[in-house]
Amino acid sequence: MENDGKRRAFLKVLGLGSVTLGTAGYSVAMAAEKVEKKPHYGMIFDQNKCVGCTDCEVACRKVNEVPEGQVRLYLENKTDPATPMEKRYVRVSCQQCEDAPCVAVCPSKACHRDGKTGIVTMNPDDCIACKYCIVACPYDVRFINHKTKAAENCNFCLNTNLAKGKEPACVESCKYKALVFGDLNDENAYINQILHVKDSVRMKPTYGTKPSLRYIPVVKVGV
Amino acid sequence: MNGAINFTYGFSHGVEWGWPIAVYLLLAGISGGALIVALLVCFYKKQHEDTPLLKAASLVSFVTIALGMVFLVGDLEKPLYFWKILIHYNFTSVMSIGVMAISVYIPLTVMMCLYLFEKEISTILAKKIQILGYFEMVMVLLKKIRPLIEVLSVIFAVVICAYTGFLISVLVRFPILNTAILPALFVVSGLSAGTASASMVATWFFKEDAHSSDMKTLHVIEWPIMAVEIMLIAMLFVSLLVGNEFQQTTTVAFQSGVYANLFWFGVMGVGFGLPLVLNFALGKHVANSHTAFYLSGMASVTGVLCLRMFIIYAGQTFGV
Ligand code: SF4
Ligand code: SF4
Ligand code: SF4
Repeated sequence: MENDGKRRAFLKVLGLGSVTLGTAGYSVAMAAEKVEKKPHYGMIFDQNKCVGCTDCEVACRKVNEVPEGQVRLYLENKTDPATPMEKRYVRVSCQQCEDAPCVAVCPSKACHRDGKTGIVTMNPDDCIACKYCIVACPYDVRFINHKTKAAENCNFCLNTNLAKGKEPACVESCKYKALVFGDLNDENAYINQILHVKDSVRMKPTYGTKPSLRYIPVVKVGV
Repeated sequence: MNGAINFTYGFSHGVEWGWPIAVYLLLAGISGGALIVALLVCFYKKQHEDTPLLKAASLVSFVTIALGMVFLVGDLEKPLYFWKILIHYNFTSVMSIGVMAISVYIPLTVMMCLYLFEKEISTILAKKIQILGYFEMVMVLLKKIRPLIEVLSVIFAVVICAYTGFLISVLVRFPILNTAILPALFVVSGLSAGTASASMVATWFFKEDAHSSDMKTLHVIEWPIMAVEIMLIAMLFVSLLVGNEFQQTTTVAFQSGVYANLFWFGVMGVGFGLPLVLNFALGKHVANSHTAFYLSGMASVTGVLCLRMFIIYAGQTFGV
């Protein structure tokens, strides 16, 4: 943050100077805009590391007070029955789409993108529970919370852990470091370092919703 | 698709939008369809008197859309929060746009009813002279804009029918729903259910002769509408059949199971088959009888209800 401020001040000086420099000002203005960019939070699920302990599920329910029998986050066992020893788990949760259909269709703007963080979240008081967002979500990861009677999705613990300056509950609870959370717009963030060196995929990319959740699949080479 | 990693688990566990939505879609279709047909017949024949058909259509369109709202709002888990839609418009949401259209359309149907039942309302108000006075004043003003209101009614009736199709065609997860044909199919099937309802009400309540010129016109346009409807359904089916892997798997909905029965017996058998048999297969005597008239009208409406049910249920069952 501190670093950020300095950089911005530096660019401001440069920007002022470049007014007289004519065209040079344009490229600097572009650069300045980039620095101002809002964070874009993303998450990585590493299938190579996940052991299916479901600690993340438990932590999420506790922190976000998800009612009994409901989940924001679910670990599906996708182990191939032919090779039962090679366990494979997949995280099922909101993909935090950049082009989120749930936000587009919500008639009451209850499902929205948080102004500061850009995270897709909901305002339970405005939700009329029409379930439009649920049927519109290509990933089928929204539900009506039995207690609040409002639609809900994984919002990276926006108003719980994140608000307290902590990592999302699932990330915090994972003993195997299978989950990584961070700002994709911050080049120095650990999440970007991982994405630079590992192959990751987006779930169902054909829908064009640009999910912010990335998956690192197990790729077995030979036996 | 990503063969490397994927999940099949979903949180919604089945059909989220159930039969109340299907019924709402039917009622909205009838409402729009009845008004479109009746007004277009009026325009086409340059009628200036208030025909029984127009009376029936105005009444039907108002009653069905009002009833439809009851189903729509009743299906919300928080029906008392319905007003939130009215203050938080979201212009990218088909539902918001639909609510906007409805809030114009309902007053239009009310005005149409006022025009066509002016005498009846006056008789009811006769005892309350003061209110009658106000009513007559309002009617004088309203009558000046009647041509405009009629044109607007047709436009918004089309919008209402079409928007119900767009409402569910934007759901990308469901191949049966996510097609461009759906809004057109909803307009056309709305027309056929609306025609049937309006003509039944016109003969039953407003003593229209079942062989009058207006009824004959309806009878003539009924069959082409039905033909277009069958064609659109066939297009929907073919587009799934020749589509990608996921679209192809959904054609099962037409081939076996409860939904296939609903489709073949309900939509095809009752909706299209029965009226055709009653009107063409059993001879002139049966075709001209009152029973056949009401029976085939009700069969048409039932068929369109089955179509909405099929689309809502089968559509949401076969997701990707
Ligand atoms: S995964 Fe579904 S709920 Fe999450 S942002 Fe995308 S559309 Fe919305
Ligand atoms: S269920 Fe709630 S959050 Fe979802 S679209 Fe309807 S009003 Fe919006
Ligand atoms: S806590 Fe970590 S290892 Fe355990 S199930 Fe969740 S992601 Fe997998």
